Amino acid sequence: MSDSPTVLCAQSDTDERAETADALGDAGLAVEGVRSLDTLTAALDRSVDCVVTAFDLPDGDGFDVVDAVRSVNPACVVILYTEHAPSDLPRGGPEQVVEYVPRTVPESRERLADVAAMAAAEVTQAAYPVPETESERLSAVQRYDVDQLAAIDAFDRLTALMASHFDIDVAFVGLMDEHEERFVACEGANWRTLAREDTICTHTILSDETMVVEDTHEDPRFAEVDALKQLDIRSYAGVRITDEEGSAIGAVCCTDGEPRRYTQTEIDDLQRFADEVEEQLLLRRRLQGAP
Amino acid sequence: MAQRRDDRYTFDGLPLNPVEPGTSLLVTGPVLSGAREMGLRLLCSSDADGGTVLVATDKDATTMLADFERHGGVLDRERVRVIDCAQESGDLPEDSVSTVNTPADLTGIGIEYSGQYESTYASGYTRVRTGIITLTPLLVYSDDVRAVYRFLNTITGRIGTADGLGICVLDPNAHEEQVVESVAQFFDGRVDVRADQGALDLRVAGLRDQPTNWTPVGT
Repeated sequence: MSDSPTVLCAQSDTDERAETADALGDAGLAVEGVRSLDTLTAALDRSVDCVVTAFDLPDGDGFDVVDAVRSVNPACVVILYTEHAPSDLPRGGPEQVVEYVPRTVPESRERLADVAAMAAAEVTQAAYPVPETESERLSAVQRYDVDQLAAIDAFDRLTALMASHFDIDVAFVGLMDEHEERFVACEGANWRTLAREDTICTHTILSDETMVVEDTHEDPRFAEVDALKQLDIRSYAGVRITDEEGSAIGAVCCTDGEPRRYTQTEIDDLQRFADEVEEQLLLRRRLQGAP
Repeated sequence: MAQRRDDRYTFDGLPLNPVEPGTSLLVTGPVLSGAREMGLRLLCSSDADGGTVLVATDKDATTMLADFERHGGVLDRERVRVIDCAQESGDLPEDSVSTVNTPADLTGIGIEYSGQYESTYASGYTRVRTGIITLTPLLVYSDDVRAVYRFLNTITGRIGTADGLGICVLDPNAHEEQVVESVAQFFDGRVDVRADQGALDLRVAGLRDQPTNWTPVGT
């Protein structure tokens, strides 16, 4: 298994695809070439770091590729590599922001390889702010195998207590993975995961302050997030949980279907619940003999 | 180490220390009384291999370039390029100016930006300063702020990996505080600007070795 960043390269012409793949390979990337939107879709998974695509494919165009990639791997970098000038391309939707390298610049394949190599290693096209130390944060999340730590029962009791204490619809403990939030305990609803760009918690983990959204409909960050409406999340309060090194691994949160304010006392109480979750995780890891 | 220090971006005439390549800065303050001027001054480059790509969202390219020149920029079509999305454009015959019909077309702006960046780079100007002046129309015209988040990740990602410099201007009074705070997360540092009886002050947050208290800006 290669540690090199993985790139899918979509071009219909076999010779051109091979030349582009060679240039990308020379830049240290692990390349898989595909000839069409269909074959690209079949090859897509979350291990892909970057997609390089021509604009014209036999069964679709570059923006179809963007849609296919976003549906599987929303943060993956997509680079249009085309002879079309920007003004000749059709208008894309606002969610179809991509990188672009024109084939008309000198030594364009080498330039594409430079852009792709750097983007695959360091860039995200996620629709949310990403912590500066995201790699370390994700490593920290992976160190907490909550099932193995047998913490679920304790978290179920805590979230039940929270729902009752705050008189809210839902209380949960969520861990923030690379692409989605995983609800490891959830009182009042049956939520398993939520795409990261749809979560409020992806903002909560950025700050050590309690995140309070009194009314999602009035907050421009969340007013257009359909998933929150579907889950009946109208108000929210959340505190991030961190590991010993300070990496944010998730959040402890309250939601309700009605707009709601939180008093300072309630915010202090929520912080105490979050401290309890953090401590439970830490102690159970120590019991397991984890470093 | 000495070589790396030489690569840093400098700001002539401003009370700022050089910043590392790949840095993106958010300039916040009243646009009409300081923040626009500060943004344009930060984009002026005296580097022989320095280029500038400007995303003009609230003034047309001609006005933006005139403002840039007034604040010290040297107009050279090979090294100064503009994406005009101010909806006011007249005839723009030069290759160094691209147009996008609306600030809502973030995909179009992103592609035109990359195209102009590549043209600048191909002309030998590899130390590219990128300016978005201002972010406000992009936020106002976007129904869902997440599209702007994706746009900012893409643009600051290119700036970071290409060892460029990014300067984005935002008037915090035009937006809800939560939006300003979330947008600031995409930048390495923030330059606050205020005007006091015509004189500008600045302060910097998020970067080391920069003035953190209000500091007068020379003309």
